[in-house]
Amino acid sequence: MSKQRPGGREGAASRRAFLAATATGATGALAGCVGLGGGRSDDQRPGVAGETLTLTTTTSTYDTGLLDEIHPDFEDLYGATVDAVAQGTGAALETARNGDSDVVMVHARGLEDEFMRNGYGINRRDLMFNDFVIVGPEDDPAGIEGADSATEALATIADAGATFVSRGDNSGTHTKELNLWEAAGVDPGGDWYQETGTGMGEALNVATQQGAYTLSDRGTFISQRSEIDLVVLVQGPIEDGPEILANPYGIMAVNPGVHENANYDLAMAYIGWITSPGTQDAISNYQVNGEQLFFPEAVSEDPNFQQYVPEGWSNSSDSE
Amino acid sequence: MIRLSNVSHAYDGEPVVDDASLSVEPGEVVAIIGPSGVGKTTLLRVLSLSLEPDAGTVELDGDSVWDADEDRRLALRRRVGMVFQDASLFDATVARNVEYGLRVRRGWNDRIRDGLRSVLGSNGTPRAVEEALDVVGLSDTLDQEADSLSGGEAQRVSFARALAYEPRFLLLDEPTSDLDPRNTGLIEDAIREARDRDIGVVVATHDMHQAERIADRVGVLLGDGFTEIGPTETIFEDPSDERTRKFISGELVY
Amino acid sequence: MPLEPVVGLLQGFLDLPFRDGYVPSVVYVSLYVSVIAVALSTLFSIPAALAMGFTDFPGKQFVKSVINTGMGFPSVVVGLLVLFAVSNRGPLGALDLVFTKEAMIMSQFVLATPPITAISLAAITGVSDNVRDAARVLGGTRLDTALVVIKEARYGIATAVLAGFGRAISEVGSVLIVGGNITGADGVSKTRTLTTAIQLEARQGRYETAMVLGAVLVAVVLTVNAIVVRLGDTGVNR
Repeated sequence: MSKQRPGGREGAASRRAFLAATATGATGALAGCVGLGGGRSDDQRPGVAGETLTLTTTTSTYDTGLLDEIHPDFEDLYGATVDAVAQGTGAALETARNGDSDVVMVHARGLEDEFMRNGYGINRRDLMFNDFVIVGPEDDPAGIEGADSATEALATIADAGATFVSRGDNSGTHTKELNLWEAAGVDPGGDWYQETGTGMGEALNVATQQGAYTLSDRGTFISQRSEIDLVVLVQGPIEDGPEILANPYGIMAVNPGVHENANYDLAMAYIGWITSPGTQDAISNYQVNGEQLFFPEAVSEDPNFQQYVPEGWSNSSDSE
Repeated sequence: MIRLSNVSHAYDGEPVVDDASLSVEPGEVVAIIGPSGVGKTTLLRVLSLSLEPDAGTVELDGDSVWDADEDRRLALRRRVGMVFQDASLFDATVARNVEYGLRVRRGWNDRIRDGLRSVLGSNGTPRAVEEALDVVGLSDTLDQEADSLSGGEAQRVSFARALAYEPRFLLLDEPTSDLDPRNTGLIEDAIREARDRDIGVVVATHDMHQAERIADRVGVLLGDGFTEIGPTETIFEDPSDERTRKFISGELVY
Repeated sequence: MPLEPVVGLLQGFLDLPFRDGYVPSVVYVSLYVSVIAVALSTLFSIPAALAMGFTDFPGKQFVKSVINTGMGFPSVVVGLLVLFAVSNRGPLGALDLVFTKEAMIMSQFVLATPPITAISLAAITGVSDNVRDAARVLGGTRLDTALVVIKEARYGIATAVLAGFGRAISEVGSVLIVGGNITGADGVSKTRTLTTAIQLEARQGRYETAMVLGAVLVAVVLTVNAIVVRLGDTGVNR
């Protein structure tokens, strides 16, 4: 996916390339071949300048506007363009699996692990997190408000036969929802359970119109709160709710050993940049309607080896 | 000279023209008379070089038309003009209709240049177009749309359209069968004018009086080739063929 | 007449929550993709319709029924087929066309060609045989005759082109799949069309802005229709 486009901004790019070398530090070194060249060679532009990175991500990330907010910084820094394509997590991974994107940013650890185990994704990093919330109409017909357990709340909804809107689109949120039903010991189905097969925003709209419950990521819910008549009935871990509603985002490069036309250099530059302290601060500072949507997770003084490998992987238990 | 020799043609195994021979010289009017459905139109299509007969030869000015290559045949075909029973005008102005034959005979460079110029304004009307319309008395209709003309006017424009590029031969298929006497008269005048210009004219008609009025020679087509071809006076006054005589006198009814 | 919706729409238009240049670039992408796709479709369809109108060949009925089926072909399926073709794993993978305008043009071409061919064919078969014969007998070549037929059928062909354009520009499913609905970080559309922009707004519950973009789409379609009708009226060789 290395589409050339006429590079501009040479002055700015080279000035910032030096800053980039400092800012991205170790991750820049991890990226290896981004061609920063110490920032002092005759040609000071990064080797990826003028190229295009295709990022497939989830609608729940895209629709919050976070990427629009932070990407200009990356484009200035590297003189490269980011094409962000919003799909469900399943579709985003499938697009990457076909070699049609260079980097994926998703939130379904199980699917991400499968993607890595099959050799398509490499250099995974934990990126950021927020959480899921169970939302519903203010009058709360099933009476789940303040439940300590998400699974209990879902079981109550099912018992009451109160309308529940499911994404039904193999997205990260949908995957999480199915896991929750399974944990609650409920096999959802029947008139009260409606699959919309749409993005998070539309699912919230449908839930508003039907006076239904649904599971939403906090980011989309906050960014859309002014448009809908739903309230949070069960909080996620950010507001001291149950840990099971955590919603961690990960980022991975497409394996150039599988897809040789993947723009690996630029993908690693992007991963290095988005996990850098500066960008992580920018993510942390991003607010919609006065509320923080995402909590950065990449910068930590503790080692976190599990972020690089499928969950539960260890050399002795799995020697793939 | 157009010469058909022993021409036969069939549609779906049904013979329409059978063993017909005819030659037409420049400057003469030949009428082909006979009842409807007897193959007059097919014969005219063969004469116009747009239909290859199943058998027989078609020669134009010494060239055997269907043995010639495509380019040569196009050149031969362009010496012939035709007027249909219905006017078959194009959906455009009278001037554009009459100019058509001239236009397709020019090179593409000229045609494209004229096309571009016509977007900006008028090209002016070629002399030949005005002259041809003059012959049928319609020189004042140049800028009218063809579909605004009456049936008689349309047929006269159709005649002018075939005359404008000065063909050597002009074929008319029942040109006046739908027209009133006045328009019929004007078309007949135009036929005489064409003859004066040394054009060979073939008129297929079921109107024996018209044939008598305008033709130098008459061919009688009664189903299986010409029963008789001869000077108009001979055909009408003293036919040698018995069936011709019966047809002329109205005894033979089809 | 209640003016309130109109006023509301205008106000919505004046303070759209978009960055400068966003709406024009989205309109540009919509027109760029649809116009090129329809132009290519027309270049393909009219000769095809002429060939089918003028000649008989074995399998002609079959080709016709394929075209008629194509008119109702679901756009999402077309999008998927084009995606498979241009995907890195597909036969055209080496061309790197996924999420580009070129891929969108390909799917629009596939969608617009059947209606343009079918309606042109109907218009061309409607031209009287006598007019065709006249062109030939007056000395026209095969090409001249074809041009006469096109000219006679020009209103029908204009309708065909407009139908194809209407299908292309109002289409959502396939352009979303093969185009990816991308805007740059500078807020300028790369593969976002009016339809996918509307879909994005609706997805986020911003129905007012979606309506305003819908009004822009309708205005664009009406403008193009007016231009084509005018061209058909005053245009070629009148």
